[in-house]
Amino acid sequence: MKDFELTRQSETVNELLARYGVKFGIYKNHEFKEQLFPFDTIPRVIEKEEFAYLEKGLKQRVMALNCFIKDIYGEKKIIKDKVVPEEFVYISSGYLAACDGVVPPKGVYTHIAGIDLVQGKNKEWYVLEDNLRVPSGASYPMIAREICRRSSPDTFESNCIEDNRYYTKLLRWMMDYVNTGGHTVILTPGRYNAAYFEHSYFAEKTGAHLATGSELTVEDDYLYFVDYSGRKEKVGAVYRRISDEYLDPMTFNEESVIGIPNIYDVYRKGHVALINAPGNGVADDKGIYYFVPKMISYYLGEDAILQNAPTYLPFYEEDRKYVLEHFDELVLKDVAEAGGYGVVFANKMTAQEKEDFLNLLQKEPRRFIAQEVIDFMDIDILEDGVRKPRKADLRAFVLMADEPMVWKSGLTRFSRNPDSFIVNSSQGGGFKDTWVLSR
Amino acid sequence: MGIISVENSDRLFWLGRYSERVYTSARLFADSFDKMIDMDLENYEVFCAQLDIPNIYCSKEDFCRRYIHDENDPNSIYSNLMRAYDNAVVLRNEIGSEPIAYIQLCVYAMKRNRTASAPIVGLQKIVDNILAFWGIVDDMIENENIRNIIKTGKRIERLDLYGRLQADRESINREIHRLAGRIAKTNLHYDEDKLDKLRGLAEQDPIDYDEIVALADTLRKD
Repeated sequence: MKDFELTRQSETVNELLARYGVKFGIYKNHEFKEQLFPFDTIPRVIEKEEFAYLEKGLKQRVMALNCFIKDIYGEKKIIKDKVVPEEFVYISSGYLAACDGVVPPKGVYTHIAGIDLVQGKNKEWYVLEDNLRVPSGASYPMIAREICRRSSPDTFESNCIEDNRYYTKLLRWMMDYVNTGGHTVILTPGRYNAAYFEHSYFAEKTGAHLATGSELTVEDDYLYFVDYSGRKEKVGAVYRRISDEYLDPMTFNEESVIGIPNIYDVYRKGHVALINAPGNGVADDKGIYYFVPKMISYYLGEDAILQNAPTYLPFYEEDRKYVLEHFDELVLKDVAEAGGYGVVFANKMTAQEKEDFLNLLQKEPRRFIAQEVIDFMDIDILEDGVRKPRKADLRAFVLMADEPMVWKSGLTRFSRNPDSFIVNSSQGGGFKDTWVLSR
Repeated sequence: MGIISVENSDRLFWLGRYSERVYTSARLFADSFDKMIDMDLENYEVFCAQLDIPNIYCSKEDFCRRYIHDENDPNSIYSNLMRAYDNAVVLRNEIGSEPIAYIQLCVYAMKRNRTASAPIVGLQKIVDNILAFWGIVDDMIENENIRNIIKTGKRIERLDLYGRLQADRESINREIHRLAGRIAKTNLHYDEDKLDKLRGLAEQDPIDYDEIVALADTLRKD
C-alpha cells in the first residue's frame, strides 16, 4: 500500500483541516474550548472482501435492532417470549414510556447507527457498542478524505479506494425518504455542543437547514421554521442532534431550553420524522447489547454474523459468579456512562478500589456489564515522524431507509497514549481515515 | 433552501459589521503605528480620540500590544475579530465552509502575530484574508439575500467609522448612497426616515458627524 506520499503531507493535511475549522468542543473546568481533532494520515485499510463481510453483519445487526425497538414500543413479543427479560428493558434509562405505541414515519427507528467495532489480533471483528441515539463522527473522515486527496493525489491515483464523500448524499436520501412533507432541518443544541462542527458541516453538505430549538415552532400539530421576515415554512424531517430528554420540554425534561415545545405531539401524529426516533436508547443500552445476537436469531431467524465481545451480566447469578472469579481479567462498564467514561480495567484497580467496586457491584448488579479484554490489533500512527503502534477502534455507519445502507468508510479513532485502550476524542484520542479497497 | 431565521439574519449582519471593523481598524492602526515609529510617539492618543474608544493605554508599546491582541479589551482588533468569528462559525450552512475558512485564517494569523516583532506584517495577513472573505462572499454565495445582509452590515459599519473619523463629504456621501442601495435589497426592517435624514446630513455644512454615527447605528430595526 503506497501511503508514503500521503504521510509525508501530514503537516499540510492538518493545516488544511485547521483552515476548515475541523474541531470538536470540550468542557474542561467548566469552560468550553474548541480543539482541533488530531488527524493521522496513516489510514486504516480494509480489504474489499473483508468489508463485504462487515457490511453483511452490520446490516443484519441494524435490521434486528430496528425490529427490537419496534417490538418494544409495540407488541413486546420478545419480552413475552422471554428472550429479553423485562427487567432489562423497563429500567433502562433509554426506555421512554412516552414512545409506547408510537410508530415513526415509514417504520424507521434506527436511521443512523454508529456501530463501534474492534479487530482482535486473531483478525476477528468484535462489536463493542451500538450507538443508536445521536452517533457522531462521520464528518471527520469525510472532510479528511477531501483534504488528503488534494494534498496527495498520487496516493489516490495509485490505490483503489472507495470514495467516501457520498455519505451526505446517503444522509440526504434517507432524510427525504422519511420526510413527511416540508423542509429538512438539522436541529443543533448550538455552537457549544461538542459536535457542532459536524452539525454545521452536514447542513452545508446536505442542503438541510441548521436550526436551534428557538427557530422552530409548533402550530396546529405541525412544525414550522420561522424566517426573519415572519414567514412560516412547514418542516417534514428533523435530524436532531440533541438527546431525547431535551427534545421536548412538554413531554420529557421540562427544564430543557434547547428543545421545541410540543414537537413530540407533532411526531406522534405522524406529521414530522425525527431522526433518530426517540426512545432508541432502549436498544443501545450496554446491558441490552448482550442480547443483540439473540435478537438477530429471534427476529431474522439467522445466526449473528458479527460477534459481541464476550460479555457477562452480573445481574445473572451465574455470570456474577464468573465475574467475581475472573475479576482481574475483565473490563467493567457502567451502562449509564458513555464517551469512554465509566470504563475500568479490573487489573488496574488498587486493592481499596477493587473492594469498593465489588461492593457496588453486589448492590447494583444491573448497573454494570463485564467484558473480556480483547487484545485488539494495533494500528500505526505517526508521532514525530516515527511510526508507533496504538490501539484503535472503528465506528461504522449504517443508514436505514427502505433497507440498511453501510457507508464504505468509517471513523477510526485511536488512543495517543501507548498504555490506553480509550480512543475517545474527549479523552485525547485522534482519528484516521478508513479506506475500503474497491478491488 | 432560501429561508433565513431571525437569528441568522442577525448573525449575517454582525458578521458584516465586525469583519469591516477589523479591516478598517487594522488599516488605521497601521497608519498610526507608522507615525509612532519616529514622528509622533503618542499618536495613539489621537487614534483613540478619533475612534471614540477609551485611552486605557499607558505607552506606545502598551497600545501596540493591547490594541491588537488584548482579549480583555473589548475594543481590540482581537476582540472584534473573535466577534466576527463567533458569528461566522455558526453560519456554515448559510455561507459555506470556504468563506468561513478566511475568517478562521484571520484568527490563526492573529494568534501567530502575538510574538511578532513587526506587528504590521502580521496584520497585513488579516487584512488580506478579510479581503479574500469579501471576495468569496461575492463569488460563492448564491443566495442574494445573504450577500445583501452581510454587505448591509459592512456598509453601516463603514459609515459609522467614517462618521467617527470625520471623513470628507464625498466619502460620507458615497457610503450613504451605497448603504441605501444595499439595505433596500434585503428584507431587513429599517427606518426609512433615518435614511432620508442621513442623506440630508451629508449635505449640511458643517456635517454633524455625531448625528451620522447615531443614525447609522439605529437605522436597522430589531
